[in-house]
Amino acid sequence: MLDHVVRVMSGGGGPKIVEDRVRVVIAEDSVLLREGLTRLLTDRGHDVVAGVGDGEALIKTITELDAQGELPDVVVADVRMPPTHTDEGVRAAVTLRKAHPGLGVLVLSQYVEERYATELLAGSSRGVGYLLKDRVAEVREFVDAVVRVASGGTALDPEVVQQLLGRSRKQDVLAGLTPREREVLGLMAEGRTNSAIARQLVVSDGAVEKHVSNIFLKLGLSQSDGDHRRVLAVLTYLNS
Amino acid sequence: MATRYGDYGQYEVRRGRVPAVLRAPFEGRSWREFGYVLLGLPMGILLFTYAVTMVSLGAGLLVTFLGVPVLAAGLAGCRGLGSLERARARGLLGLEVADPEPLRMRKSGLLPWIGAVLGSGTSWRALLYAVIQFPWSVFSFVVALNFWAYGWALLTYPLWFWVFPVYLGQGGLQLYGDEQHSVYLDNPFEITVTALVGLLFTLATPWIVRALTMVDRLMVHGLLGPTKLSARVVELESDRGVVVDTAAADLRRIERDLHDGAQARLVALAMDLGLAKEKLTEDPEAAARMVDEAHGEVKTALQELRDLARGIHPAVLTDRGLDAALSSVASRCTVPVRVEVDLPRRPAAAIEGIAYFTVSELLQNVSKHSGARSATVDVWRSDDRLLLQVEDDGAGGADAGRGSGLAGLAERLDAVDGVLVVDSPEGGPTRITAELPWRG
Repeated sequence: MLDHVVRVMSGGGGPKIVEDRVRVVIAEDSVLLREGLTRLLTDRGHDVVAGVGDGEALIKTITELDAQGELPDVVVADVRMPPTHTDEGVRAAVTLRKAHPGLGVLVLSQYVEERYATELLAGSSRGVGYLLKDRVAEVREFVDAVVRVASGGTALDPEVVQQLLGRSRKQDVLAGLTPREREVLGLMAEGRTNSAIARQLVVSDGAVEKHVSNIFLKLGLSQSDGDHRRVLAVLTYLNS
Repeated sequence: MATRYGDYGQYEVRRGRVPAVLRAPFEGRSWREFGYVLLGLPMGILLFTYAVTMVSLGAGLLVTFLGVPVLAAGLAGCRGLGSLERARARGLLGLEVADPEPLRMRKSGLLPWIGAVLGSGTSWRALLYAVIQFPWSVFSFVVALNFWAYGWALLTYPLWFWVFPVYLGQGGLQLYGDEQHSVYLDNPFEITVTALVGLLFTLATPWIVRALTMVDRLMVHGLLGPTKLSARVVELESDRGVVVDTAAADLRRIERDLHDGAQARLVALAMDLGLAKEKLTEDPEAAARMVDEAHGEVKTALQELRDLARGIHPAVLTDRGLDAALSSVASRCTVPVRVEVDLPRRPAAAIEGIAYFTVSELLQNVSKHSGARSATVDVWRSDDRLLLQVEDDGAGGADAGRGSGLAGLAERLDAVDGVLVVDSPEGGPTRITAELPWRG
């Protein structure tokens, strides 16, 4: 399987994240997309340490890199890869998250399945992402998501969040939110920080903070500090 | 629609060497049939005793609740013995009788089982078999054994007639006798005639035994096999399974093609354009290069989508029919293909579609495996059948065995009551004929 590994740029070692420069391993069976992703990330000054074509090779590569003390910051993995073309990516990601708690995992998928997201988020939402493949078109946002996951944040696709909101059994409580609050809740669930939400909605940070406290009050959740713990609280709430 | 495998001339010659009448007493087949009849008696006794005991016990106990389960157990036993009988007929008579339909139980448990056993016609037919097989087996046992034993005894009479004067005090075998006079077979003429009669018996025995086993065949086939209706149901169920499986496999294939092809291209395209957008102001040259690449991606994606759509259903087939559609398939084949479609009018769309995909799959095989220099496709109608024939001058040796692409094709054709005939000797040429029901 190792012949699938393409060393794109040797990892420089050194401190984990130097000025947002993250070290990435890509697992994607389509060469076209693997090269596209590599170009996209290196263009933005990130290191693509290795590219592999299936889940097994991914786990092997990460284990090897870890043994050399060069664990990457984040893995970007396609859900569907050989040999079964079903959910190899998710399974490999879950395995990797268990083995290397510090490793960020961003899973890309042609379709968004709330079930996969739930499996990925099981336990902790630290350093995990699940995005529709199409999101790579928004280069800046996509790279932001990679960096966010690399530094322990969360990146959930708006569609996953939509599914979670739609499926939640807490519809009566959710109905009590104002449209703006629902919007903020969605962005929060995607894993964005207050300032990112403020930028997105073109409002002040203070306004976002006010909305967030309102949401937590209405949902009956206790305010928790740290963005990823906040995401976890929201997701657990929606999923319960 | 004959499949020609080698030449069977040799076989004909070997058959002709000894007349069948003389060969029959020594043929393995005759011995197996004889064995079947001999075994029939003990089996008949077993079946009859078992069936009569269980049924009368069950019937006698019917006044109490116990009768019903006993009766059911008896019937289930008859079914079991029935499968033993099918095995005996298969082993000794070479009679292939399919297993009858299994018990259909809505729930598991004892009561539903009893209901299923008592409600199934198969059980009662097995019981009827157990009852009537017995008298028949007695009759055929006696007839077969007597013919066989008398035949050989009389045939060999010239070898042992001396026993009579030496040990028994009479001239020979007594043909007739009362108190006044007796007729003994003791002169050479009589001995010869006796032996000839024995020969006649011996030669006739295999045919008599065969005639006797014909009745057994009918009984096993009629009473222990599936009924015609249920056999057709089984066939249709399996056909439906194939159709559903094929449809599901087609959908999976289309999804895979989309996922790996056009969808991936479009994502790459989106990525290129996204990068280009970012670069537009700072590095217009790089942006132009990316737009150029994206342009290439779009064209490839379009090509892939077009191929995929054609793979699902070619528009030209709907618009112009088989002739035009097959010409287009043929033009994409790697070898020159002559297409001749001779149809008075267009068949039903479903049949047209199957015909189209059959020919395109066969031509794909020609491109990939045959090593042919040219191929021909002929389509014509004969009565209520639509016939397709694909011929190539390649290496031959096409295998319609299990698991091959041709086997899959044959299975799909079978599901619509079609037939696939493969004639492909090693060294070629290969001729594959498919027959479909004509629906106008």
